Amino acid sequence: MGLSLSINGDRATPSADPITPLVDVLREELHLTGVKPVCREGFCGACMVLVDGTPTLSCLTPLALVENCEIRTAEGLSTNGVLTPVQAALETADAVQCGMCFPGMVVSLTHVLATTPSATRDDIRAALTGNICRCTGYERIVEAALTVVRK
Amino acid sequence: MSDVSATMDFRRRDASDKLQGRTRYTVDRYLPGMLHAAVLRADVASGRILKLDTSRAARMPGVRAIVSTADAPGMIGIGIADHPLFARDVIRYNGEPLAAVAADTLAQAQAALAAIEVEIAPTTPLLTMADALAPEAPLIHPDWESYEVLLPGAARGSNVAWEATVVRGDVDAAFTRPDVVVVDSSFRVGRQNHVAFEQRAVVAAYEDGRFHIETSTQVPWTIRNATARLLGVSPAQVRVTVPPVGGGFGLKFDLAIEPFAALLARKSRRPVRLVNSREEEMLTCLFRENAEIRIRSAVTRDGDIVGREAVVLMDCGAYGGEQIFLTTMTAHTLGGNYKLGSARLVSRAVYTNTAPNGAFRACNGVYNTFALERHTDEIAARLGMDPLAFRRRNVLGDGDLGATGQTFEGDVLGPMLDRMAEMRPSTPARQIGSDGRLHGRATTVGTWFVFVGPSAATVNMNADGTATLVTSGVEIGSGSMMQGLPQIVAATLGLDPANVIVRAADTDAAGYDVGVGGGRTTVSLGAASLSAAQEVRAKLLKVASEMIEAAPEDLVLRDGRIEIAGAPGSGRTIVEVATRAQATFGPVSGTGAFTGGTVPSMPGCAAGHFIEAIEIPVFAVHDCEVAVDPDTGHVEVLSYRVVQDVGRALNPRAIRGQIQGGVTQGLGYALHEEVTIGSDGRVCQTGFETYRVPLALDVVPVEICLHEGAPSKGPLGTKGAGEVPILNVGATIACAVANATATRVQELPLTPPRVLGLMLGRTPELAFPHISDRWSDNLVRPHGASES
Repeated sequence: MGLSLSINGDRATPSADPITPLVDVLREELHLTGVKPVCREGFCGACMVLVDGTPTLSCLTPLALVENCEIRTAEGLSTNGVLTPVQAALETADAVQCGMCFPGMVVSLTHVLATTPSATRDDIRAALTGNICRCTGYERIVEAALTVVRK
Repeated sequence: MSDVSATMDFRRRDASDKLQGRTRYTVDRYLPGMLHAAVLRADVASGRILKLDTSRAARMPGVRAIVSTADAPGMIGIGIADHPLFARDVIRYNGEPLAAVAADTLAQAQAALAAIEVEIAPTTPLLTMADALAPEAPLIHPDWESYEVLLPGAARGSNVAWEATVVRGDVDAAFTRPDVVVVDSSFRVGRQNHVAFEQRAVVAAYEDGRFHIETSTQVPWTIRNATARLLGVSPAQVRVTVPPVGGGFGLKFDLAIEPFAALLARKSRRPVRLVNSREEEMLTCLFRENAEIRIRSAVTRDGDIVGREAVVLMDCGAYGGEQIFLTTMTAHTLGGNYKLGSARLVSRAVYTNTAPNGAFRACNGVYNTFALERHTDEIAARLGMDPLAFRRRNVLGDGDLGATGQTFEGDVLGPMLDRMAEMRPSTPARQIGSDGRLHGRATTVGTWFVFVGPSAATVNMNADGTATLVTSGVEIGSGSMMQGLPQIVAATLGLDPANVIVRAADTDAAGYDVGVGGGRTTVSLGAASLSAAQEVRAKLLKVASEMIEAAPEDLVLRDGRIEIAGAPGSGRTIVEVATRAQATFGPVSGTGAFTGGTVPSMPGCAAGHFIEAIEIPVFAVHDCEVAVDPDTGHVEVLSYRVVQDVGRALNPRAIRGQIQGGVTQGLGYALHEEVTIGSDGRVCQTGFETYRVPLALDVVPVEICLHEGAPSKGPLGTKGAGEVPILNVGATIACAVANATATRVQELPLTPPRVLGLMLGRTPELAFPHISDRWSDNLVRPHGASES
């Protein structure tokens, strides 16, 4: 029996070696493939998950470090397919293109909007520096986040 | 006629799942019993293979299959078949595949790679085009004359894989006129990596004697045909399906790693998954090619360009690939924008011992536009003319001839320049900011085009009032398959676009298609879809006409109904009509097809070209303001504006999204995305740490004007809109930095050290000893001469 952790509200006891990167445990063992291993070096942010509410790069986090932690991935933010305000704003703004970066983007935006409810344009841009997007040029993502702030 | 106004700004249906991490890209696919594969690659740039022994690796734990060159007898290429799947006897680039392994786990596959015994006798590599074109340079392809020629007629020889030439008018006479000044400019650009977020990935299976390849590609039919060719099997034995693709940008416009997985699946009788690591993606990218450009113009004092000549060297890497095709584009990019009294241009795809290059959004056009627009500014400066006035005087208009002698239709660039003049602030081209930084501004123009070519579509009208669109189109992120295509079908049939189901690409289900790229999705697939929908429409109208007792020409399809025009609420629902049609004649469907290639060039002007005249030109006008730090050379982009010729905007919001994203990719290319190649022939940038792409803090909101109404043969007057936004970003930034710093910008990217070097006068003028002063000396054989 492996370590115990909470993933999107469910208990899980993955069997992977404790040094396995969390991204691999989430994808290969728990089939949470929304967590994207794009660079595996901590630069792109596509594998970002919330660990006890803090945005964390799952590619650089060994499984052992998240024992007993509460982990939330992009799959676990919405409830019964109802989008969160951030996700809904991004959909409304037609912000999504290829979509590979968005699970990580959504995680980072969820955090910044929760911790900085009156976030400015610059706050949001700064919060996204660890999330690279190759398609959109960011602008719509920032604008969509600002619509959530204004609500 | 189709009314798309009801469907404007239609939202994409794939956003919700993408935002929730639910979309399964190829990298996310997982089949029962699936094996994991890895590829052994050469670690020298050039050499002879003395030994390749896989027997020890085959006995390693978990190993199920190993394949190497004997398993893939064919050769592929564009224009010429010069490229085997695995290196055969000779290594031509660092990273060239030698063997592939499938094992129960990825770790086992990688362990087996390490157990393959390889001995290579290294030889001296030719890493630059200057090396490759040196008089005594060894041949990278000594057997080039024996390769199968797929498109005859081009000049080739020594390390020149392909040569395309344009000659129109008497250029020598133009340059010797007494009333002209001659402006001579040289430019150089490096490679650009697409950095598609989804790595190239494939899951292959061998089922009922056929290969099923599920892959992250823009070109399912190319994968089908090229895989078959390499493996020596019939193309009908290969089925390709494509899940949502996590970014393409041209990277996935060519075959990649699909055949490795296919071979391993057949050999192991198990499904096989192969995913490039990010490092492999960086090292074997199929980059936008590095290029060297020399351009000379003879211009009258009044500002008429009476003669232009250019030599463009394009590094194709170890194999010809896309660059062979892309030599065709110089005529339309470097030879574009302006009226030319006479012109001669040569584009040469040059072999080097480096990783093969490929296609990247506005291929060739990005650097040729940089060169052309900087050259244009140098001309204007020499004449003492305002660069905008010079452009206004010379941009292509209605009835003007292009470089290859085609006749352009409509005044497009002129009105676009006028529009930009309204959008742009009236700041001077150069001024010192209050913070001491050097501010510069520039406006450039660009010419691009839509790659037409064959597409097929089928529309099935379902009795429940929905329609299913079946094509080989792929959703790569641009939204064309999610927005433009269902909008076209829906508008034709009077449906809500949400009721048009779009079938994902499957070569077993839909007819041939060139692929998703070159701005052709909405145009070519769109035209085929429109034609298929029109056939369905005609069939529905015939049935409805009997049901409603009105002539078909008096009926309209609108809001899910077929009604008498001008009498809303009359008639029947489409469900009723489709149900009646199905019961009476059988299910309703329509097929459509499209291709292009009807615009003539002037006979004899172009040689070695795949495209002699452009079917649907696309123009762009860009403007930007930059601030340059005189102490560090750092360039900040202060504002950016785009006027883009879109023909007709079916989904303006989606196009604006493409423009913001494309400009941002261009800013990376202009300012900091840099690829270098080490002395071992290996690409130095192995990941995001060393290859710097634009971040959220780097970009500015692009101010956008969509210019509608230019002539287009696209369906409903559309043009491709996703590819062109990157076209003149490098040019615009370079011209603005040149203005700000009063220096001669000749290279991209404009990294701080490069800009500082210019400002301090420490950057020597570019000189290309391998480009001859006499244009004709740069040719393998004279333009128009036949093969000896």
